[in-house]
Amino acid sequence: MQKFTFLLLVISSQLLAQQNFTLNGFVRDAQNGEELIGVSVYIPSLKAGTVTNAYGFYALSLPRGTYEVQFSYIGYKTQTLTLDLNENVARNITLQSEALVIEAITITDKPLDENVIAVQMSKNTLNMSQVRKLPALFGEVDIIKNIQMLPGVISAGEGTSGFFVRGGSADQNLILIDEAPVYDPSHLFGLFSVFNADVIKDSELYKGGIPARFGGRLSSILDVRTKDGNNRETDITGGIGTLASRIAIEGPLRKEKSSFIVSARRSYVDVFLKAADQDNLVYFYDVNAKINWRHNNKNRFFLALYGGRDVFSFSDDFGFQWGNLTSTFRWNHLFNDRLFSNVSVIASNFDYKLELKDPVQGFKWISDLQELSVKTDLSYAANAHNELTFGYHLTGRRFAPGRVAPNTSGSIFDVVEIQHMYALDHAFYISNRQWVGDKLTLDYGARLSIFQNVGKSQVYLYTDPTDNVNIERTDTLHYKTLETIKAYINLEPRLSMRYLLAPGQSLKASYNRMVQNTHLMSAATVPVPFNTWSPSSYYLKPQIADQVAAGYFRNFNDNMYEFSVEAFYKDIRNVTDFADNAEIFFNDDISTEYRQGRSWSYGSEWMVNKTKGKLTGMVSYTLSKVMRDIPGVNLGKPFRANHDRRNVVNAQAVYEVNQKWTFGANFTYSTGRPITLPAGKYEYGPYNPDVITDRNGYLLPAFHRLDLSVTLNPRKNLSRKWQGQWVFAIYNVYNRQNPFTIYTRTKQDKDGNVIGDGTEKEARLIYLFPILPSVTYNFKF
Amino acid sequence: MRNWIYVVLLAPAVWSCEKTVLLDLKQAPPKVVIEAQVTDRPGRQFVKITRTAGFYDSGETPRITDALVEVEDDLGTVFPFVHNPNDHPDSAGIYLPAAPFTGVIGRTYYLTVVADGQTFEAQDKLLNVIPIDSIKYRVNPEEAKDPKDKGKIYELLIFAREPQEEINFYLFKFYRNDSLVYYNDSDIYGSDDELLGEKIDGVPSPVFYKLGDWAKVEFYSLSRQGYVFYNDLWGLLNNDAGGMFGPIPASPRTNLTNGALGFFQVSALKDFEILLE
Repeated sequence: MQKFTFLLLVISSQLLAQQNFTLNGFVRDAQNGEELIGVSVYIPSLKAGTVTNAYGFYALSLPRGTYEVQFSYIGYKTQTLTLDLNENVARNITLQSEALVIEAITITDKPLDENVIAVQMSKNTLNMSQVRKLPALFGEVDIIKNIQMLPGVISAGEGTSGFFVRGGSADQNLILIDEAPVYDPSHLFGLFSVFNADVIKDSELYKGGIPARFGGRLSSILDVRTKDGNNRETDITGGIGTLASRIAIEGPLRKEKSSFIVSARRSYVDVFLKAADQDNLVYFYDVNAKINWRHNNKNRFFLALYGGRDVFSFSDDFGFQWGNLTSTFRWNHLFNDRLFSNVSVIASNFDYKLELKDPVQGFKWISDLQELSVKTDLSYAANAHNELTFGYHLTGRRFAPGRVAPNTSGSIFDVVEIQHMYALDHAFYISNRQWVGDKLTLDYGARLSIFQNVGKSQVYLYTDPTDNVNIERTDTLHYKTLETIKAYINLEPRLSMRYLLAPGQSLKASYNRMVQNTHLMSAATVPVPFNTWSPSSYYLKPQIADQVAAGYFRNFNDNMYEFSVEAFYKDIRNVTDFADNAEIFFNDDISTEYRQGRSWSYGSEWMVNKTKGKLTGMVSYTLSKVMRDIPGVNLGKPFRANHDRRNVVNAQAVYEVNQKWTFGANFTYSTGRPITLPAGKYEYGPYNPDVITDRNGYLLPAFHRLDLSVTLNPRKNLSRKWQGQWVFAIYNVYNRQNPFTIYTRTKQDKDGNVIGDGTEKEARLIYLFPILPSVTYNFKF
Repeated sequence: MRNWIYVVLLAPAVWSCEKTVLLDLKQAPPKVVIEAQVTDRPGRQFVKITRTAGFYDSGETPRITDALVEVEDDLGTVFPFVHNPNDHPDSAGIYLPAAPFTGVIGRTYYLTVVADGQTFEAQDKLLNVIPIDSIKYRVNPEEAKDPKDKGKIYELLIFAREPQEEINFYLFKFYRNDSLVYYNDSDIYGSDDELLGEKIDGVPSPVFYKLGDWAKVEFYSLSRQGYVFYNDLWGLLNNDAGGMFGPIPASPRTNLTNGALGFFQVSALKDFEILLE
């Protein structure tokens, strides 16, 4: 009960206070009407303020008086509003993009010290216009590749969309597109992510101090929001790239009332393959669509859809595909001047299919995961110093790990299906942001997660539930539809605080507990599209992470330079791992392969960001360590986690010579990935297997790479609507052979003929991309 | 099934290149390796005892020639083994029964090896194996287009009945003119019957033959433990060392105690021979 008392305190203190009035409204881009997320709303005389929420809405509750209110946002001209507050006021604000006011007007420069002022730490926001100027692999702008450059984030490897946050594995990241979870964010096995940069409005990564409204994964939240569509005029944007092309159309349905955006992207590698006379089909596509309807200032509706798929087919005998489908319906409602609500209904589906076309050994394998959730989120501006958010999320999930069926009458295969699993997840949360005096801001709250693994299902009991060789089932428990098999209740406290040391300098600290009840069934380093997921169950316990972090934030030269250093320690209990040699695919007794243990990580992250001037960019350095100790793995000895990288340095720079030419550069360096290498070999029959001793006992050579790009904006003919842009990029400029992995084999020559008597072995290093130039043409009209 | 999954996993490797590298490896202290086999076929019982070697060593691994080896069945009959009784120069480290014996279906066998002052034990059960009903052969059109070995473009088609009421595990071996053959040197051909229907009608062989070859196919029964061992061994031989997508390499799970590598395999054996003409 104690945890809820603060709510009562907040409410009662507000009742006793003098009469307050509210100021609220939406903040929008003046040009296209897009709502702006995270705009700072600040009242200098009170040294208090707020930021706009994910829907561009802000609300402040203030005593009667005359105020100057400043609205500031990166890339936009700051707007100051002066008003007499003697009644509740609704005021929608439009901000002018700086791009339109260059030279002509001097910008009233209010310090944009959001990173110092905000109570939220361990959060990074991608600046999409900056991202577009940076070099990209095959010229395809990819936000996940940029996320991988942030401090505290480690790339799973070249050509993968996997990333690791503060010692967490790749499955511990919750990836959201318009609030809907994306279970596999990869295209072409991770070469690209599912996010089409053209429709992305905002993407934020939370690494620590995670707000109570988020839950379900241990290590990070990647919150990607797509554009609402221009509600003033119709725009077409697009691009033609080396590997894929894309087009987006947006515009008003009813001017300033409703808008739409539809975008599509497709790769055309297969077109080249066809040209090369190969019967292989390899492509992916994405479609994003959104309708946004502003009924009145109190009611707004959105419907967002995303669908994407990868299709591989090899010369008519083997096919493989996977894809995500998500939809989000949202209703924003203002109950009154202080209470803002958002109700969302979210559906997400991930599936993969594998097909072998053969008259005898032909089969079709289908696996999917479906999720439906209803979320109610409310925010309440209690007074000038307290802002409450609370809500309830209900999620139902169905896991279908696999079904194999013959696809010809002569097939040797039977129909076999692994039983479905079902889960219900209730989460209640409440948190309060409190401005205590001039210097201290607190954000405290908790999330209560009530998780149920439910029927219809069977649970097998075993003589020894961890014996994966001689599996002896002793009994089977039967559960009816929606009957609880196992319930897990966890309270997740969240706390963040910020203390202003001096103007432009702050200290921040945070603690969060996160609980994960959806487990990735994979023993590989990087999630692959055939991974299945499993709920916490009779045998699988929830994974629980505790993280503490502290940081120092400082801006220099009128916020031209942002500096931050953060340190963290994270401890994970029941982290899910698998026995050596685990059989993950199509195993009805997969519970015998589960091994849960402990993981701990710590490190520090340093970053300098230059936000203004002709040269902008950032340099970051991360020093961290990640260990795991899993009973039954590596003979019970602690070992380096797959995602341990001791030193990581990343740098990005954009130099705008003039309006016509812009140069971009990316550099990345990281310690090599841990790898398990042989400690000898032996003979068994005709084979020479390796002797394996320590898991992850070695490191691959270090990874480093430099990419460069040039963006050309040809001189604009102002009377023409068509705007074109060329992006020339070179990936891996100095052609580094970056290690992907090492494997061993019998020593052989180039043509695969064994050298010597067949007893000698050799190690082979695989490396991926050499120097790769690309050209992309982007347009807008 | 598993093999197909790895084929797909290799798809990103379309962009990849590779080169030989010299690794600076820590060498583990030598371990005893036991390869033992008891079947229901006369003359097909042996135990081979060796030691592990350095990764970059060439030539045979060291042989252990002074071990004490015996097999016992569940009736208490003991079958002692002797080291290389015929003193064959190529058979150092190989132990054969002192008096010939054959395994009996349904019986469990116990192996004891004393080597390097340590005792290693294992047990395995002799399970029945299905007969091969018939074998046909035909040209494999894809292999004919681009043969790995010139002329070897015929595949065998195997016909059998898989009993659905019991759980079975199989190991398959293919011979070409009495030599054991594999398509790739790290191939192991085996299967469980979880996904198999009853009719096995014309499953093609993974290896190819030319006209005039004698082809032989052997079916071995495996216990669940044996299947697990061969499946793990295949995984180890075909691992990309914990490459991004594959599992992390690990020692195969074995029925041998005391940290010995290898396996004690007890199998029923059926074969079928055909001349391609």
